[in-house]
Amino acid sequence: MLSFIIRRLLIIIPMALLVVTLTWGLIRIAPGNFYSGEKKLPAAVEANIRKKYGLDQPWYTQYGMMMSNIVRGDFGDSLKYQGQSVNEIIKRHLPYSATIGILAYLLALAIGLTAGTIAALKQNSAFDYSSMSLAMLGLSLPNFVLGPLLVLIFAFGLYWFPPARWGGVSSIVLPVITLSAIYAAYIARLTRAGMLEVMRSDYIRTARAKGLDEMTVLLRHALRGGIIPVVSFTGPALAALLAGTVVVEKVFALPGLGDIFIKSVLNRDEPLILGIVAFLSILIMLFNLAVDIAYGFLDPRIRYE
Amino acid sequence: MAKTRPKPLRSALIAVIFASLLTGCMSSAKSKYFGRTSPPAENVLRYVSGSEPETLDPQLPDGQPEARIFMALYEGLVEYGPKDQQPIPSIAKSWEISSKVDEFIFHLRDNAKWSDGKPITAQDFVYSLRRGFAPETISRTAGLGYAIKYSSEFNGEKVFVKKNGRFLTAADIDGTPAKDVPAFGPDTEFNRTLRGPDRITLEGDEKKRSKELESDAKLKAAVEGGEFVPVKAEDIGVEAIDDRTLRISLRQSAPYFLGLLAHQFFRLVPRQAIEAHGKEWTRPANIVTCGAFRIKEYRPYDKLVVERDPNYWDAANVHLDRIEFYPVEELSTIMNLYKAGSVDAFLNHTVPTSWIDEVRQYKDEYLNFPEAATAYYSMNMTKAPFSDSKVRRAFMLGLDRQALSDFRKITKPLFGKVPSGIYPEYDKAVEKVGEELRKERGVTPETWAKRNDFDAEAARKLLTDAGFPVVKSDSGYSCPNFPTDRISITFNTNENNRSVAEFIQSQWKQNLGITVPLKTMEFKTYLPYFKSLQYEGFAQFLWSGDYMDPYTFLSLQYGKDNEGGAGFYDAKYDKMLNDANAELDPDKRYEMLARAEFYLMDQLPFVPLTINATNWLKKPYVKGMYPNPGTLIPWKFVYIERDQAKWDKDVENIFKTPDPQMEKQLSDLTATQKAAAK
Repeated sequence: MLSFIIRRLLIIIPMALLVVTLTWGLIRIAPGNFYSGEKKLPAAVEANIRKKYGLDQPWYTQYGMMMSNIVRGDFGDSLKYQGQSVNEIIKRHLPYSATIGILAYLLALAIGLTAGTIAALKQNSAFDYSSMSLAMLGLSLPNFVLGPLLVLIFAFGLYWFPPARWGGVSSIVLPVITLSAIYAAYIARLTRAGMLEVMRSDYIRTARAKGLDEMTVLLRHALRGGIIPVVSFTGPALAALLAGTVVVEKVFALPGLGDIFIKSVLNRDEPLILGIVAFLSILIMLFNLAVDIAYGFLDPRIRYE
Repeated sequence: MAKTRPKPLRSALIAVIFASLLTGCMSSAKSKYFGRTSPPAENVLRYVSGSEPETLDPQLPDGQPEARIFMALYEGLVEYGPKDQQPIPSIAKSWEISSKVDEFIFHLRDNAKWSDGKPITAQDFVYSLRRGFAPETISRTAGLGYAIKYSSEFNGEKVFVKKNGRFLTAADIDGTPAKDVPAFGPDTEFNRTLRGPDRITLEGDEKKRSKELESDAKLKAAVEGGEFVPVKAEDIGVEAIDDRTLRISLRQSAPYFLGLLAHQFFRLVPRQAIEAHGKEWTRPANIVTCGAFRIKEYRPYDKLVVERDPNYWDAANVHLDRIEFYPVEELSTIMNLYKAGSVDAFLNHTVPTSWIDEVRQYKDEYLNFPEAATAYYSMNMTKAPFSDSKVRRAFMLGLDRQALSDFRKITKPLFGKVPSGIYPEYDKAVEKVGEELRKERGVTPETWAKRNDFDAEAARKLLTDAGFPVVKSDSGYSCPNFPTDRISITFNTNENNRSVAEFIQSQWKQNLGITVPLKTMEFKTYLPYFKSLQYEGFAQFLWSGDYMDPYTFLSLQYGKDNEGGAGFYDAKYDKMLNDANAELDPDKRYEMLARAEFYLMDQLPFVPLTINATNWLKKPYVKGMYPNPGTLIPWKFVYIERDQAKWDKDVENIFKTPDPQMEKQLSDLTATQKAAAK
């Protein structure tokens, strides 16, 4: 198990560097540059910019300079937000995305696991049908529809919550609900499917035959196997949530990382793009590793050599 | 018909939702104001400023969202007037302008201070301008100041040529003797050098320089054996005559220059903070400012809070205690914040089209005035068939721009290069010159008035004359010869741009029988595509004026490598503009500029589309805030009115409605310059 973890951890670094290299290549292929705007720059100004950022050097020199900085963990300064380092921007905005993301995921887990489990236990009941239809609705209702709808009802109809911006507990209620809807729906459906399969398996029949009461069967044996699909979903889902969710951040004007990431691409802000991509790829690989480790605890049949 | 009875719980839920939706709608329909309207408890203005500021260094960015924040934090020699954006005294209490409008002397007030308490002197302006033009500063707006002598040469790292102990001048090349120009203001050694004949400058880069010399034998011969001396910061035409007197010398007359000086590029930057903290000088802990407000709190992407600076020279006349700038870009979100009463005003161009019909009912809040901003479709004149002026004219005449404006709801149709209704004096000049031209050309007043109007018949005839016959069939017109497979309307991806393009596409199809395909691309991809003339047919071009003079629009087609993006270059047009700018009588200059505009409209490198509108909202209790042509708000005039009887009413007349407090403040400020002018 330990050697497995170490092997996986060691591979993360070269993988992240590969991802950075590919991203760097893609940025270079994309037309346009960070300094161009609607107004034309005098030739002298453009030349000064290119010189300052080393854009007048051959590409391999630029690549080498970039890589040697990144290996040392320094992504440099943002080209658009001058005087701010990439590391500082990520560090500053991650907590916003993480707060919203983790809360939304916890809420989604609470709703999804409960609804999914009950739906599986009472298959084909009214609860099953209604909760699964709601889940279908949750899946198909995009954030940019649900968010404004919640604003309309709770900010302008009932005046319970502010319509947008960060500030206090009440300001994150609507974004968290908006964000969690789709995940809750997905988790409910995964849990239901997983539980249905597990409840019919032999080891559950054995547990029941041993005379265990239904609650113990459910919590000690069935749930552990039933939520494995949810666990594999959790890795990438959490990574995506931590990195920010553009739509919710836009609708509620939150200073999260997702919006900054999208804008960095639109601005051709190379250091910031590379920094966020590297951060994201490492995050995803770590969460996937965590998921793989969790499998071992949840399902005794899975063992790592 | 039988209906299923709703279950109690469900019906209760439905009732709550509907009731809440209904109350939401009803309250907005019945109320006089849009959403919650009550002044904030403190003297605070909460303002949505658009995108997150790139930096708090005023010399670097070129965006308007930043410009508005800089107007709170920094001052320059002059400030934009609250109503008309014309320059009013700021740190300079008065100024004198040379008769050729190429030298300016500014008298600074003696009580101006930085936020750290240090007095502001003329040397601070010299430092700021030198820094702005320094190549390593990489200011993107430095080009605005290129009228200052030797500034573009310093910015472009050029060199002077020194030979036999003196600098070579233009006189050494063409032999014209230097004229003796009398001094304007105190006669200093530095000023004598600037007044003297223009020095020759060459490329600083050796390769480029030898190329430059190869192409000009006379120049090469004159330079031979000379020494190359880099143009330095100390060479540019900015001089502190004493602590309170600043002189700026230009390379040529520039009547628009004073209006330009309120731009962020010309605002003061703090030498003490920049030298102490380097690129980190703009952080809240390090920053030193000189405007009416100083930084209180900065949380990027969330808010920037500024508070009244007690060190500010005019602090007694700053009415707001704080301004909170919120960087929000999503239009519906901004509308929600405003409706909920969480913000008091927001930036221009922000009410989404789908909200306009509702919002324009709130006559005490909705500000829709013409802007110094226009939309065009550039036509690539370097590629056939748009190299033919008949074709270009046909497409302009074949488009009903009034209908386009009505469709856009907030814009006005544009019929020339310069937007009308922004520069009243220039509009008069256009009328006068137009009348002269009409008589010269022997056209009836009716025909002349409609010369650029929508005229589908004339457009079809022009196309037919140009070799693309338009034929009428049962289903309308068609123009089978026209190469629609090659051309397109290209624009950057954006909902508004698309709807405009679709509207124009359908107009041309209906009126000319030509279906021009649409092509859309992401902004940063679009820019090089447009600027390097890769497009064929039409490309969208939006332009906001940089200063309050029609030249900011007319100069778009000036010079070989101009910004117009149509491949247009006409030496005659350039000469007309140069001559106009050398004219010292402002009325006459406007007439010469108007003549140039008529000339340009005959060439027609673009289809004029619309004049933008300000299109923003402010709560009626926010006073002293005006929808001027650039939505550039001098914040010290803004105040919160708590007496509801004095709230703004019918803001359509906001410019005519008297506001004694604001007017007194303005006239006290301008009095120093008026007294000096006498």
